[in-house]
Amino acid sequence: MADARDLMQRYCDGDAGAFRELYALVAPRLLGYLLKMARERALADDLLQQTFLKVHRARAAYVRGADPLPWIYSIAHRTFIDEARKHKRAVVRVDEGGELPEVAAALTGESADRRDDSRGDPELMSAALDALAELPAQQREAVVLTKLDGKSVAEAAEIAGTTVGAMKVRAHRGYEALRKLLGKAAPKKVQGGAA
Amino acid sequence: MSLDDLSKLPPPAPPPLSALLEAELSHLAPVATRRPMRQLALLIAISLAYGAGVLAMIAVRGDLHELPMGWLVGAGLTWLLGFVVPAYLATVPRTGAMMPRWKPAGIASVLASVAFIVLGLSIHPAASTSHGWDLVWRGYGCFGTGLAAAIVPVVVGAIALRRALPVGSRWVAAALGASAGSLGGLVLHLHCPVIEGLHVGLAHGAVVGAAALLAALLVPRAIDVR
Repeated sequence: MADARDLMQRYCDGDAGAFRELYALVAPRLLGYLLKMARERALADDLLQQTFLKVHRARAAYVRGADPLPWIYSIAHRTFIDEARKHKRAVVRVDEGGELPEVAAALTGESADRRDDSRGDPELMSAALDALAELPAQQREAVVLTKLDGKSVAEAAEIAGTTVGAMKVRAHRGYEALRKLLGKAAPKKVQGGAA
Repeated sequence: MSLDDLSKLPPPAPPPLSALLEAELSHLAPVATRRPMRQLALLIAISLAYGAGVLAMIAVRGDLHELPMGWLVGAGLTWLLGFVVPAYLATVPRTGAMMPRWKPAGIASVLASVAFIVLGLSIHPAASTSHGWDLVWRGYGCFGTGLAAAIVPVVVGAIALRRALPVGSRWVAAALGASAGSLGGLVLHLHCPVIEGLHVGLAHGAVVGAAALLAALLVPRAIDVR
C-alpha cells in the first residue's frame, strides 16, 4: 500500500482514488483514537466524517513531501475538542416534563447508560474504557496517543498543540490515574466472576 | 484488562464516506499546494515594497546624513531581523512537517515585543525635550504609522497560511503580527527623527507588541482549519 505522503500528493493533484486509499489507510486508526476519546460510536463516526471533510477543504495547505498524518490527527483533535465544548454547554438536559435525567451526562453529552460497549469482551472492555473515560480530557488524550496509539511524546504534543514537557506530564498523570482506577476495578471483576 | 490489551485491539472498521464528501469528490480538481519558502519570499518582498511605499508617503527623516552610519545600519538590521525571523518561524515548517513551528514562533513574538521596547528605552538615552500632551501626541502619530505599516504583512501572511493550522494558530498569528510590527518599527526608524528613549521605546517599540496582540486576536479566524 502506498504511503500517506504519496497518497496526499496524488489527492491534491485531483486523484479521487488516492483520497479513498488515504481514507482506507488513516480512517481506522483515526476512528480508534476518536472512539477512545468520545466513547460513543455514532459520535466518533460523525467526528471522523467532519475531520475528513475539513481535510478535504483545507488540502491546499498541504506541503509536498510532508507527512500529513500529524496534521490530520491535529484536525481530529481540534474537531473533538470543539464538539466536546458544544456538548459541555448543553450537558444539562431536561426531559419533556422539565426534570433532570437520572444518569449524568458524560463529556460527550452521552448519558452513561447509553454508551456503546459493543466491541471485544464487553465486561473487560467496558471496565477499561470506563476507567479511561474517567480521566480528564487532556490526560485521556495523552494516554490514548502515547500508550494506545503508539505515538511518540513529540508527535502527541504536536497533534494536541502543546509542549513536549506538558504532554509528558499529562501522559504520566493519566497513566498513574488509570492504573489506580483499573486496580480498583479488577477486584470487583474477580468477585463478579467467582459468584 | 491492561493498557497493553487495549492497545492491541484491532482498529474499528470506519464508516463509508459521507454523501457530502462523495459529492465533493465527484468533481475533485487539482489544487496548488502550499510552498512555504516561496510564500516567505513573497511575504518579505511584498512587505518591504509596501514599507518603502509608506516611507515614501510620509518622507524619510531629514537628519539621515548626519547620523552615525554604524548606528543607522545596526538599528535598521535589528528591525529587519525582528521582521524576518518571526515571519520565517510562522510560515516555514521544519523539513518533513506540514505545520509551522508555532512554539518557537510564539516565543519569538514575545521576545520581539519585549526586546524592542527595552532596546528603545535603553539605547536612546536622550533626555525628553517634550512633555505631557506633546509627548503623547507625537507618540500617538508614530504608533499609528507603525501599525499602518504592519497591516499588509499580516494580511499576506494570513493569506499564505489560510486553513493550515488546526492547533497553535494564535501563536503563529502573534508571530506574524510581531514580524509586521517590526517592519513598522523599521519604517519609523527611517522616518522619525526623535531620539528620546521614552518615545522610541514606547511609540516605536510598542508597535511590535501591539501588532502581535491584534494579530493574535484577529488572524486565527483566517488560518484555523475549520
